[in-house]
Amino acid sequence: MLRFFALRLGRALLTIVLVVTFAFVVLRLSGDPALMIMGPEAPPEVIAAFRKAWGLDEPIWIQYFDYFGAIAQGELGRSMRDGRPAIALVAERIPATLALTLPALLIKVGLGIPAGIYAALHRGSAIDRAVMVAAVAGFTVPSFVLALLLVLIFAVQLGWLPSGGQDSWRHAILPIFTLGVGGAAVLARFTRSAMLEILGQHYIRTASAKGVPWRAVVTNHALPNAAIPTVTIVGFMVGSLIAGAVVVESVFSWPGVGRLLVVAVANRDLAVVQCILLLVALTMVTSNLIVDFLYGFLDPRLRTRTGSA
Amino acid sequence: MTQVVISNTEARARKKWRWPALPTSVVIALCWIALMLVLACFSEVIAPYGFTKLDLRNRLAPPLTPGHWLGTDELGRDVLSRLVFSIRVSLLIAFGATIISATIGTTLGFLAAHFRRWVEQIVLMLADFQASMPFLILALSVLAFFGNSLVLLVGLMGLFGWERYARISRGLAISANAQGYAAAIRQLGAKPPRVYFTHILPNIASTLIVSMTLVFPEVILLESGLSFLGLGVQPPMTSLGNMVGYGREYLTRAPWIMLCPAATIVLTTLAISVIGDWLRDKLDPTLK
Repeated sequence: MLRFFALRLGRALLTIVLVVTFAFVVLRLSGDPALMIMGPEAPPEVIAAFRKAWGLDEPIWIQYFDYFGAIAQGELGRSMRDGRPAIALVAERIPATLALTLPALLIKVGLGIPAGIYAALHRGSAIDRAVMVAAVAGFTVPSFVLALLLVLIFAVQLGWLPSGGQDSWRHAILPIFTLGVGGAAVLARFTRSAMLEILGQHYIRTASAKGVPWRAVVTNHALPNAAIPTVTIVGFMVGSLIAGAVVVESVFSWPGVGRLLVVAVANRDLAVVQCILLLVALTMVTSNLIVDFLYGFLDPRLRTRTGSA
Repeated sequence: MTQVVISNTEARARKKWRWPALPTSVVIALCWIALMLVLACFSEVIAPYGFTKLDLRNRLAPPLTPGHWLGTDELGRDVLSRLVFSIRVSLLIAFGATIISATIGTTLGFLAAHFRRWVEQIVLMLADFQASMPFLILALSVLAFFGNSLVLLVGLMGLFGWERYARISRGLAISANAQGYAAAIRQLGAKPPRVYFTHILPNIASTLIVSMTLVFPEVILLESGLSFLGLGVQPPMTSLGNMVGYGREYLTRAPWIMLCPAATIVLTTLAISVIGDWLRDKLDPTLK
């Protein structure tokens, strides 16, 4: 058990190290980082100071370690646009992104998991077929198309809801719906196939054969086992909350982290991009770690197994 | 054991190969893909106008206008012509990217299977990293650092999904190495590249092709997403996502500009996934 978590923790740290390395390599490959981060109009003495501060005159491997040190202290550079620290710019956008993605996550989990379980238990029924069609649609209709269709119907044709902006809660409905519905369909499909796989196991047949009522078989034997793959997917969804919001925030001009990223990429505002990259990596790694801890509760084999993982 | 194998191959050889009974959905999907391929290959012949040809007297003409069957956009450019050229660009990028990522992934998988030890550990670690980071974010950061060009875009998309091919080819190559034929070739003195690429690769190709058809729609979606955000294919070139992105400005007055390419994206990804799912069930039920 301990060894399992130690391994997972190590892997999480490794992912962070890889992301920082990725940022470092890409930053160095793309040109002079001093010019990139400070901008070409910066006076030479500022550039020289920056070089000195970031140790750009040192050998590359010392720079690499210094880069880690700077990031560990939260020094992520300043935005090229308005000179404010990138980390502050990103941080003030986080609440807006969460305002969209957390309700959307609730829709995904609250709609997707029950629909998947129901579809698996009533295989071949009308609802099962509807879930499968919705799941295929959820995969093949890209979020920007879904978003624009919703705008076309509810904002342009019916005029019920605003098509973009962030002035009231009514502005949040369409983006939340766009994010939630697609994810719910995907989650429903995963839950369904996880449940179907479990329901085909011998221990389910054994439980039914010895006379356990079907309801008890499902709640005591099938659901806990099907929870493991489902938790993995939900964890991935939590980890990619920011990434998932990029497109939707852009369509609805919602001032969140995702939109900030698109604007920063278009303006080549590297400090901001790098900061968001690290934020996404941290979210992903944290949610993966939580999922791993949940495994410990869900899978008793992990609790009892000692040593060899 | 040997006898069983021989009788199996004999039985297979004796049974005449028949055209498999295709489900209707697969037939429709194949027809759609064939149509897309024809449109992509013969864009110049099929498109009624050039994709940048302006017709300023017919701006924002609705569909079914004579001469512009799918209407025109804000500059009077024919939507049908732009759609045909966009299909070509999007498919070219998706094909190019899929081939690159399959090549990279398979090669890395073979390297891992051949050298084992630390080479394998590094490949697996990179695959884990790639799988755990949202690709869109990585792609956006690279575009931010390097600016945008078509070559970079295709190369970047070529990194999408390599980890799946790497994992599959590594696993299959390890088990193929343990089989008689690989050992026999090696005993005959074949060098590793020959063993892997002329003998093991054909044996595991069906699984790899299935994963290619499963990754392909995701590549199309990724490219159209990037182009939609204005960070993928740049004007004057056009792609499906790019058309949707610019058509968005005219959502209220001319929704057809956006609806035609959007429908094409949805139907194409749908068709390829239908074919991919069917191929997976036929060729390789072991893949998830």
